[in-house]
Amino acid sequence: MRTGHYKETYGELIALSDSGVAWAWVAALAAALVLLPLLVGNYTLSLAVSVLIAIVGAIGLNLLTGTTGLISIGQSGFLAIGAYTNALLATDYGWPVWASLPAAGVLSGAISLLVGIPSLRLKGLYLAITTLAFSFIVNYVILYAEPLTHGPNGVFLNDTTFLGLDLSSDRGLYYFVLGVAVLVTLAALNLLRSRIGRAWLAIRDHDIAARAMGIDLVRYKLLAFAVSSFFVGIAGGLMSLQIRFINIDVFGFLLSIEALAIIILGGFGSIAGTILGAVFLTLLPEAIRIVLSLFVDPQAPAYTKYIYEIRGIAYGIVIVVFLRFKPDGLIGLWRDVRKYFANWPLAY
Amino acid sequence: MEYFLFLVSSGLVVGATYGLVGMGFAIIYKATGIVNFAQGELLMLTAYIAFSLASSLSLSLVPLMIVTIPIAMVIGIVLERVFIRPMLGEPLFSIVMVTIGLAVILRGVTIMIWGPDPHEFPTGLSTQVVLIGPVPFYQVQLYGLATLAAVTLAAWAFFRFTRLGIAMRAVAANEGAAMLMGIEVSRIHMIAWALAAAVAALAGILFASMFKLGPTIWFEGLRSFPAVILGGLDSVLGAALGGLVVGLIENLAQGYIGQGLREIAGFVVIVVILMLRPYGLFGAREIERV
Repeated sequence: MRTGHYKETYGELIALSDSGVAWAWVAALAAALVLLPLLVGNYTLSLAVSVLIAIVGAIGLNLLTGTTGLISIGQSGFLAIGAYTNALLATDYGWPVWASLPAAGVLSGAISLLVGIPSLRLKGLYLAITTLAFSFIVNYVILYAEPLTHGPNGVFLNDTTFLGLDLSSDRGLYYFVLGVAVLVTLAALNLLRSRIGRAWLAIRDHDIAARAMGIDLVRYKLLAFAVSSFFVGIAGGLMSLQIRFINIDVFGFLLSIEALAIIILGGFGSIAGTILGAVFLTLLPEAIRIVLSLFVDPQAPAYTKYIYEIRGIAYGIVIVVFLRFKPDGLIGLWRDVRKYFANWPLAY
Repeated sequence: MEYFLFLVSSGLVVGATYGLVGMGFAIIYKATGIVNFAQGELLMLTAYIAFSLASSLSLSLVPLMIVTIPIAMVIGIVLERVFIRPMLGEPLFSIVMVTIGLAVILRGVTIMIWGPDPHEFPTGLSTQVVLIGPVPFYQVQLYGLATLAAVTLAAWAFFRFTRLGIAMRAVAANEGAAMLMGIEVSRIHMIAWALAAAVAALAGILFASMFKLGPTIWFEGLRSFPAVILGGLDSVLGAALGGLVVGLIENLAQGYIGQGLREIAGFVVIVVILMLRPYGLFGAREIERV
């Protein structure tokens, strides 16, 4: 256990990390991520892209649900808005990706204010139901506003490039998404150590007390909605870049559940936890596929037919088991392990 | 006029199933304070079980309901025991999340058992149209309305007159005080789940025999949210009325405003209700405004 590191200034207290070891590990991770495309094949690389996109979206959700305590079970709606904005601006209006992707985030954030307004009056379950209703309304509007959104036909994305990176190749897309994920992670970490992040935490823990301490609830709740949905919209835009063809079926209710499962698995309110959760949950179907292929033929009709159900069941089990046995998620597990080794051989 | 009456009648019929599912939501919310997101999946599972019973025993509609209800109640009790009881004392949010997890598990398991193809639900009823005044009804639709009426009446009598019903209301009003008065709260929770599963089974059987039994029938649960929000989350009888109203609104919106509006009219109602009158028409006003 580290001892004797006294914090003497406010700046030291809110620094991202005061440990050189931690920074060294982060540097190692960064190097590994940059080198990854040289070491693995395209399939693994596209999995990595999925993980990174999940990280971006889940960080957005965690800022809202984990940090501010506003429950949203309608994330698929914001993902759909982001994906469609990015795809339509790029294909129908010829916007370059450096403009269409931020636009996806901004539009998603702006629309989230509409959902945020009821949240000023509602708490907990009622808010959750509003967000759910909202996501269905979004899907309906996209499906029926055919002149604008191509309706049931979906949208095909053209090949795009960004600063010379070919985003239609796995490697180009990987570096692009990696860059965005790093930016979003840094933005979220820095938000959390600012006045805004502390205000959000205060609202989550006790909103009346927060208000008594001079936090403008209207402003900070709406800000939480806007920032969170901005990130989720960006994630949606990245999804459209990855899958290249989007239609409304992609954004079903299971996607919202997946987002919730990620932050439950990772740990509420923790960015590091969100990253862990996104990595594990995105790779979970893959792990199931590998395990099952040991026992049954992966081409067997029974398996391919029920792939969606198996995934759903896996998410459900993750949610139930973690909430029951480890409510602070993987990051809590990691803290326990670290504490155990730091205190070894004494238990506490 | 005929078109209007047709929309009203079919709206009321669909609304009856919303009302039944909504009553399930309200029973669990009233007794335990959680919204059970797995209500639609309870409906799905019990409807599929009823389907297997109906095809193997060739029961007609009413006996089928009577046979399915006890099975559904056992399922409700088991789910409460295995998934919800261990979460006692955890934050509300976690328990609600567990019901969401439970929902996807049940959905997946049901589809894996009975397969993804829709089935024609055998009801043994004639498809002859019955005219009530100028409005044509199918027999099964009349059964649906009658079931809602019967269940509503039974629920009213149950909560008004029986010892158990009064105990449930006591638990809803104040769990701690109810416990001090000698009411076994955990047993009340269990019974609430059993009752919710029973009404879910009725709604499932009716819905499947009016339309089809398919793997998307769980969505009926989410579609019933507007009913219970309109009635007030803690008002069991309000949910029944809310169901009828939402069924009407959906059908009229579809018929007069635009294609596909049936799918979301209810959700628009949710957003409007929650902004204007969050406790619904009959719910207790305990929304805390911060």
